[in-house]
Amino acid sequence: MVFKLDSFTLEGIDAVKVSVEVHLSRGLPEFIIVGLPGKAVNESRQRVRSAVINSGFDFPVKKIIVNLSPADIKKDGSFYDLPIALSILAAGNQVVSEIWKESCFVGELSLDGIINPVSGLVSMAEEARKAGKTFFFVPYRIANQVSFISGVKIVACRNLLEAADVLSGKEGIEKFIYKGNDTGGKHFYYNFDFKDVKGQLKAKRALEIAVGGRHNIMFIGPPGSGKTMLAKRAVTIMPDLNLQECIDVTKIYSLYKKNVNNLIWKRPFRNPHHTISRIGLIGGGISPGPGEISLAHMGILFLDEFSQFPKNFIEDLRQPLENREVVITRNHFSYSFPCNFMLIVATNPCYCGYFGNDGKKCICSLREVKKFWKKMSGPIMDRIDMRVTIDRLPESSFINTEYGECSDKIKNRIIKCIDIQSYRYRGQKISYNSEIGIDSVNKWLKDDKKIRDLIYTVSKKYNLTARGMVSILKVSRTIADLERSDSIKEHHVIEAVNYRVSFNYNSDNSICM
Amino acid sequence: MKNNGNSEKILSILVERKVKPAGFIDVFRRNNSNINKTIDYFLKHKNLELDYRTNGVNCNFTGYNNGSYKEIIDFVLKNKIELLNIGDDNYPDILKQIYFPPPLLFFKGNKIKNLGFSIAVVGSRRCTAYGREAAIYISKSLSEMGIIIISGLAAGIDSYAHKAALEGKGGSVGVLGCGIDVIYPPENKFLYENILENGSIITEFLPGTPPLKSNFPVRNRIISGLCRGVVVVEAGEKSGAIITCNMALKQNREVLAVPGNIFSSTNRGCHRLIKEGAKLVENIDDILDEFSRYTGKIFKPDKKNNVTSKKENKKPGIKLNGNELRIYEYIGYKSKSVEDIVKYSGIEVKDVLRILAFLEINCLIKEDSFNKYSRLF
Repeated sequence: MVFKLDSFTLEGIDAVKVSVEVHLSRGLPEFIIVGLPGKAVNESRQRVRSAVINSGFDFPVKKIIVNLSPADIKKDGSFYDLPIALSILAAGNQVVSEIWKESCFVGELSLDGIINPVSGLVSMAEEARKAGKTFFFVPYRIANQVSFISGVKIVACRNLLEAADVLSGKEGIEKFIYKGNDTGGKHFYYNFDFKDVKGQLKAKRALEIAVGGRHNIMFIGPPGSGKTMLAKRAVTIMPDLNLQECIDVTKIYSLYKKNVNNLIWKRPFRNPHHTISRIGLIGGGISPGPGEISLAHMGILFLDEFSQFPKNFIEDLRQPLENREVVITRNHFSYSFPCNFMLIVATNPCYCGYFGNDGKKCICSLREVKKFWKKMSGPIMDRIDMRVTIDRLPESSFINTEYGECSDKIKNRIIKCIDIQSYRYRGQKISYNSEIGIDSVNKWLKDDKKIRDLIYTVSKKYNLTARGMVSILKVSRTIADLERSDSIKEHHVIEAVNYRVSFNYNSDNSICM
Repeated sequence: MKNNGNSEKILSILVERKVKPAGFIDVFRRNNSNINKTIDYFLKHKNLELDYRTNGVNCNFTGYNNGSYKEIIDFVLKNKIELLNIGDDNYPDILKQIYFPPPLLFFKGNKIKNLGFSIAVVGSRRCTAYGREAAIYISKSLSEMGIIIISGLAAGIDSYAHKAALEGKGGSVGVLGCGIDVIYPPENKFLYENILENGSIITEFLPGTPPLKSNFPVRNRIISGLCRGVVVVEAGEKSGAIITCNMALKQNREVLAVPGNIFSSTNRGCHRLIKEGAKLVENIDDILDEFSRYTGKIFKPDKKNNVTSKKENKKPGIKLNGNELRIYEYIGYKSKSVEDIVKYSGIEVKDVLRILAFLEINCLIKEDSFNKYSRLF
């Protein structure tokens, strides 16, 4: 007889419904899986056989054919252990249930019948809801990941026997429906805070503005000046994620690793090393997965030692920064992953690292310094609105016991600033000042003669490009928002000049200290 | 250009007969510096002494295309390159005086004909910010007085000297160590184009000659030959600038040197020159004094319009309000960091940054190193 039930496979970040069909027929005992199974799916035969026997059921001595339909999509991973085992039991009438049609299943079986975690659970739960299913059977250990998804009931079972009992009605299903447990994850705290950073007042202020308007920012400074320390603390002043954002983040992380126990409430902070591969950074692979830029979705991507990253990797970031998503296309598929992140990069100012430093002298020639910066010039630098120089702290600051502002205070200001922006840009495609187009910038210039004159003077003095000036104006918009000022005033622009001009090596008549 | 065909004849002698430029000059001198007689000599004597012939190794004219005379003359005409021979009236007199003047120059731009009073500014290719500032200051000030700046169109000090000189009325002459159609270093491409507007590019090498290592010392004798004096801005112990100075001394030119940091190796050469008697340059007047016998009347430093007195000129015309004035007065000539200023003034960081940028835009303070400011006045 033939029996069918529903499961899922992953295509990029989206789940696709797969029906698992089982036919038990007479013939030599055999167990075959068809429908483009990968290695892990083919091996599931052994796991299913042992799990069924060790759960106290009989493994049918028949010719068993399992078909995974649609048969032309490649299937990989261990999602199908549980559905295959259950459908074999159902086909042999060992489990009889009335809710087969309303249910769908994923889970990896261990040999003793325990259900182990799988990846991509959040996407699957959303797909289950779309497919109109009532019950979604998931591994108990990671059920919390999907507990916030409404519209589908999450049934969390520890092992195969439990699942079979629930289906056949021996155990009440209500008992196994997973109730959200928000103690995990929602109440978190960071064990670092803005007040830990001593001195570096300009950098701290710059970071506040950068987070406030979601401007990408570059820290330039000698080794040991605290670039990494500052970047790490940027997440502590970002507003908390809302539920939908949180689900989006968890969705990506559940593709990346299996044991995501809870929804991820913390904003991601990704800090890949510069030896990362291109696919590791952007995403892709044989069964395409998210790269670091997607893992930094809704959070921060911090590229330390930016100059050490291969040039083409840096250029690869251009499109994702613009579109807030990355499309991975290979010859037979094209998947898109979201990557709405804020970019923070840190770099030394030159090869030796001490250019513009007060204490230790730089041993690079101007030509070498220019060469160093040449690698980073061009379109990617355009997308970095703010460039802030950091110097090493003087000894007196280390022993200074005064603390600066704590993260929560700054966070409150930023929340207000972001609220103003989302109100202003309601109904538009953009939501932050950094995404403003050139037309609104031109409008500000047109409206205010004072600012026009100021921009003219500044650009002449610092030899700014048109892009530099647009960046300054965008940043001044954020500064105005932080002060809750409706229009951009002269002093906002003047402050913004601080965060741009200090390192302009692209033009020939660059300014040096 | 008044063309009596001598330049072409000389070119053909040098290329087709493979005559050494030095040999040519020798014959030229023996014929009482009469160019026509010299050319006749070469045309008459088919079998030259071996001394006058190149053996292909020690030859200045090793165009890598090894072009024939005809190819070269076609190229010259097509690219509007002009020729200047030692017999021309326009050939700089000052260059004729040196021991081995180039018999034939390829050039572009109008500055080389009737060359006025000129000074060479040379230095290291690997310059520091200090050297750059010095080169720009010296060249610009001299150029504004109408003095022509000669340099080698190399990277570093040379290129800054040229750039700054082009801003003044004096203009600039660049002497190449390669063919006139070869741009080296490549980043000077725009400089090549700009220099033609108020200056010249000259070379004695055939078109197509690559920038060989051995060309540059040869080229340096022309740099020092074209000017009255050489100012060395930043030179290491074994810099090409030092070779130029040695040439200059042999050619009876003045040598002046800008001092630098005693701890840095980039100034060793300059300091050695000073120890050996080169004049130390601290400001433009030091240079002008040295040349007063040539320039006494023409280039008397004009007190009103002198660059050395720029500090008095730029007195702030802006009114500063309370906090701005307080911060401005606190920032001394020794640099102060943003943290220091915040601590001193008790004003919020954002306002301090605002004031600092305001003062910097109005040229009252400058950023010395990262986030450390000092007063300009």
